[in-house]
Amino acid sequence: MISPNSEENRVALVTGSGKGVGAGVIRVLTRAGIKCCINCNTNRTMADQLLEEVQSYGGEAFIYQADVTDPAQRKGMVDAVIEHYGKLDILVNNAAMQPNKFIDQYTEESFRWLWNINIGGYFHMVRECLPYLKESPQGRIINLSSVHGKRPATFDAGYATTKGAIRQFTRELALELLSTGITVNAIDLGGCKIEFKTGKAQFQTFHPLELNNPSWKRPDLTVMPEEVGHLIYYLCSKEGKAINGHGVRIDNGLLLT
Amino acid sequence: MKDTDKIVVITDLRTEEAKSAAEYLSGLGYEIVTPPADVHLWKEEEIAAFAAPLKDRLYGVIHPAPPVTKGGILEVSEEDWERTSNEGAIAAFMVTKVFCTIFREKKGGVLIFLNSIHAEKPMGKGILYSLNCGAVDMLSREAAQDYSESGVNVYFVEKGITDPEVGKSDVSALYYGVDLRYPRRKMPEAGYLNGLLAFLLTDAAYPLTGQPITADAGLTGFYNQHRFKVEGREYFDFTKFRRK
Repeated sequence: MISPNSEENRVALVTGSGKGVGAGVIRVLTRAGIKCCINCNTNRTMADQLLEEVQSYGGEAFIYQADVTDPAQRKGMVDAVIEHYGKLDILVNNAAMQPNKFIDQYTEESFRWLWNINIGGYFHMVRECLPYLKESPQGRIINLSSVHGKRPATFDAGYATTKGAIRQFTRELALELLSTGITVNAIDLGGCKIEFKTGKAQFQTFHPLELNNPSWKRPDLTVMPEEVGHLIYYLCSKEGKAINGHGVRIDNGLLLT
Repeated sequence: MKDTDKIVVITDLRTEEAKSAAEYLSGLGYEIVTPPADVHLWKEEEIAAFAAPLKDRLYGVIHPAPPVTKGGILEVSEEDWERTSNEGAIAAFMVTKVFCTIFREKKGGVLIFLNSIHAEKPMGKGILYSLNCGAVDMLSREAAQDYSESGVNVYFVEKGITDPEVGKSDVSALYYGVDLRYPRRKMPEAGYLNGLLAFLLTDAAYPLTGQPITADAGLTGFYNQHRFKVEGREYFDFTKFRRK
């Protein structure tokens, strides 16, 4: 881990962090001394377990149950962060869904639902948090995205569409906020080990290199949630301030083939 | 080329590029059809009802990006969010679903997203426009993967800036001195992509399916932060370039 900056006094809000990738981010940030708001929507039990774990090693966090698509709940969550800690330095947009549907399996309603969570939630959370982030000497926005924001998934056009939106959302925001000192980056995540996914996979995975070479030993390309957390920790550090408007790929080389 | 039996739908004629393309392709013999004003492109049933009678002669669809919505993240409204989502990603998604389903049944067809370099390049004050462009970029790549096997070609064209009024805008670092950033040192006219669109409607264009086609006349190839000197002579200097 890189050397600490002034993390002791920094505050982060990580959406969708009661489990999965978000929980890994919470573990890393709280171990570094950053105070965190754990946001969960439906699975309170797992968020409670995470908070208990964080407190066991002396980390500081609290849980706020909120749906990021609901304006009142979003505002309530950000207000709660300010009430708890008096400031906000880091927003990690992570709450997202992956239904795993082909184009013709989506309806307008189901695509709109996905759009409003996967990019609408990000967009509106930034709007809600920006006044506080502008007051921070080291403001950071991290948008969790996917390798499917760069390359098609073939099994979920809706998901990839929203990830393409996050790519440009990140770049626009980084340029717009250039003079504020707030950096904005995306994480293009490959396959990650999480408790469960929101949609049922309609595919089997393989590695192209093993097709023509049965003796080739397939490595485990799964990314661990804490590895995402370490990358985010770096991007949020003083050392990471020069990286801005970027989509950082973290996939164990998955996209190389 | 004469294609009098072929219908090309242009879904939105609000931009100059779309109007110019309609006129040009019509001149080549394509029958150009546009949706009536009361068809909402983000409503699947309305698009399907519009497309159904065209099915037999439907050959291609050109889906232009909507006009640019300017504004920073705190400047745009909730209504802007809703409208740009509808006109942008949601409309593109539903147009893709309806028309590519028809093309798949016919075992052929062309879907062209006449989109923007803002699917790659930010403008700094166009958050809603750009995020929708990025979304449609990835949609086009997905659609190519999903439908190309059935003979459907899907193209995503990243056009440059052609509107002189936009070029005078002060909203974007990218737009500042925009005409001088083109290698030809002038802004192309709205119809500069007409030939490319005609080509993309032919079978010969299929190698370009599934990846964005940057057709911005060199605009984004310009490295904005340098002043150039050629043989000791100042060649180009943004700091001296001011619009009246």
